[in-house]
Amino acid sequence: MLRKRLKFKNFLVLLFVIPILGNAQDLTGKKIIEKVYNRDEGDDRRGKLTMTLINARNDQRIREIKQFDKDFGKEEKKIMFFISPADVRNTSFMNWSYDDPAKDDDQWIYLPALGKVKRISSDSKDDYFMGSDFTYDDLGDRHPDEDTHKLMKTETINGEECYVVESLPKESGYMYSKTVTWVIKDKWIGLQKKFYDEDGDYLKTLNVKDYKDFDGILVITHSEMHNVQKDHKTVMKYKDIKLNTGIDSGYFTERIMTRGL
Amino acid sequence: MTIRRYISVLFLLSIVSLNGFGQAPEIHGYVRNYTGALMGQNGDFSIVQNTLDLDIEKSTFDMAFKANPYIYQYAHKDELDYGLREAYIDLYTDKMDIRLGKQQIIWGKADGVFITDVVSPKDMREFLLPDFDEIRQGITAAKIDYFSGNNTFELVWAPVFVPTHYPEKESIWFPGSYPENYRIDESQKDIKAGLENSELFFKYSRLSSTIDIEIMAGHMWDDDPAMHITRYIDQQSLNVDSIVATPKHHRLSLFGGSFSTQLEGVVLRSEAAYYMGKKFATLNPADMDGITEKDYAHYLVGADFIVGGANVSLQFIQETIMDYEDPLAQDEYSNTMTFLVNDDYLNDKLTLELFAYIGLDNEDALIRPKATYELHNGLNLIAGANLFTGTKGHFGQYNENDMAYFKLRYDF
Repeated sequence: MLRKRLKFKNFLVLLFVIPILGNAQDLTGKKIIEKVYNRDEGDDRRGKLTMTLINARNDQRIREIKQFDKDFGKEEKKIMFFISPADVRNTSFMNWSYDDPAKDDDQWIYLPALGKVKRISSDSKDDYFMGSDFTYDDLGDRHPDEDTHKLMKTETINGEECYVVESLPKESGYMYSKTVTWVIKDKWIGLQKKFYDEDGDYLKTLNVKDYKDFDGILVITHSEMHNVQKDHKTVMKYKDIKLNTGIDSGYFTERIMTRGL
Repeated sequence: MTIRRYISVLFLLSIVSLNGFGQAPEIHGYVRNYTGALMGQNGDFSIVQNTLDLDIEKSTFDMAFKANPYIYQYAHKDELDYGLREAYIDLYTDKMDIRLGKQQIIWGKADGVFITDVVSPKDMREFLLPDFDEIRQGITAAKIDYFSGNNTFELVWAPVFVPTHYPEKESIWFPGSYPENYRIDESQKDIKAGLENSELFFKYSRLSSTIDIEIMAGHMWDDDPAMHITRYIDQQSLNVDSIVATPKHHRLSLFGGSFSTQLEGVVLRSEAAYYMGKKFATLNPADMDGITEKDYAHYLVGADFIVGGANVSLQFIQETIMDYEDPLAQDEYSNTMTFLVNDDYLNDKLTLELFAYIGLDNEDALIRPKATYELHNGLNLIAGANLFTGTKGHFGQYNENDMAYFKLRYDF
């Protein structure tokens, strides 16, 4: 049940860790998105993620995850441990992603009931992560070259001055026909993003509710994705965050997947 | 009295762990009701089972403890079925993990098929229907894992042999039937615990960006006994008067391995084991006790991929008896396929799954549709069926046992 939920590229890093960059000149839509994409993420990160899934009747389901990730030059390794709900407790997931765009991610899952680590297919970009309103692709590092970008206007929302960039996919059949992103000037955070489905209909909105400064690196600590077609929301909170602590490379192994941390 | 003693042991275990680790252990587990009815026999219940399964755990930087007691209560039985699925202590060093105690050890890349996964014996009292952590029996063993980067060297020493647990003769899962003049002599079935009767297993495994591999070897007892036959002849009619079958476990050596890799989004898997000197039943009169010895190979190829958001998994499994000669009771080749598809709906509240074993030689199958609905955090309602087709073979023999079931399970 979990395996299709577990597609990550740069999972929380790209969603939550956004460095402050300097002012840019002659900004185009593409340059703005590149500034969001090409950012210093720190060398390693750890923290606890809580997702609250809320349906139209306001029923809530909670998912909690402990995560560690580290950059190793041309590859990035990530390991996650599921804390709740209780039926997925002690499940772990590991992802190795690569700078080489031709190379697929490597992914493994450890299910306590099966008692072994199993390699799984990483070919699931348009699946939703753990029943949330985030697809794996939403949580990943979609390369700016995969879309054409157009700077539409500037606009102030929540007191922040933003560039508004429209992105259209180059690939036919992509799950979104269009996205529109509100990027905070000089901080390069996507403060808001609207998604349109394959038919061009408005699908969902991502709103960043809070972010914090960790020694010059901005980390989004609270965001919300609202799927308006299903009237389903996911509130994502990131806490106990530590950056650049020198996570040991031995964390990203089968030994730790089965044993836990 | 027995139950009270059992609860006392649990309590003592908790106290020991409290003293040893300084803090209270974590207690998790589940409670489950499992009700199944036979579909072709007036809806008779095949199982009404209530389960309490606990994980009592505590870990520190350099050690850990786990006990997994379980209790099954059946509507049709007065006695409880209870035990310890696992109870072990882990010791961790920089390069090595040591696990001592009762433990489940699971090897290989196959799903739902046991090829190199031979360390923990199976509990077949309900055939292959329970969850896999319930099918595997824990064994008392010392396991040492040595780590070097992404390489793992694993050594298992099991001083006490545990055989496959078969269903009772009255069970609907008891395989086959015996003629009236057939008697079983179980006097030679047990293997005395001791150094010379212990089992030894070794595994090397590596997990890497291109391929995951496992290489294993074992010197073990065959979990399944060979049935040695003695025929008693009526001296007057010269017909067989009675047959006595004496089950005996025999030593068995095997080696094998497995790999998995990803190619264009498809995970390719394979696993193989070669058994040396396995005992098979034969009708050859030259083999006086109805047993002959042959080498035997068991292997699998499989692929996992995603189609339209659904996970799909296919496996082809073949068993081969080497240097085959008639008339063995088992065919030279045995071919099986498995098929799995599952998908999630309603923001993962609903999971639909279809799993099937398909016997290619006897045109039989076990088809297992299942729906899981998350009612609340940790509370799941599961409804499904186990459908047997065919009239003979591994699955066809249970053609009368089609069943529908539901389970309500709360994890905490």
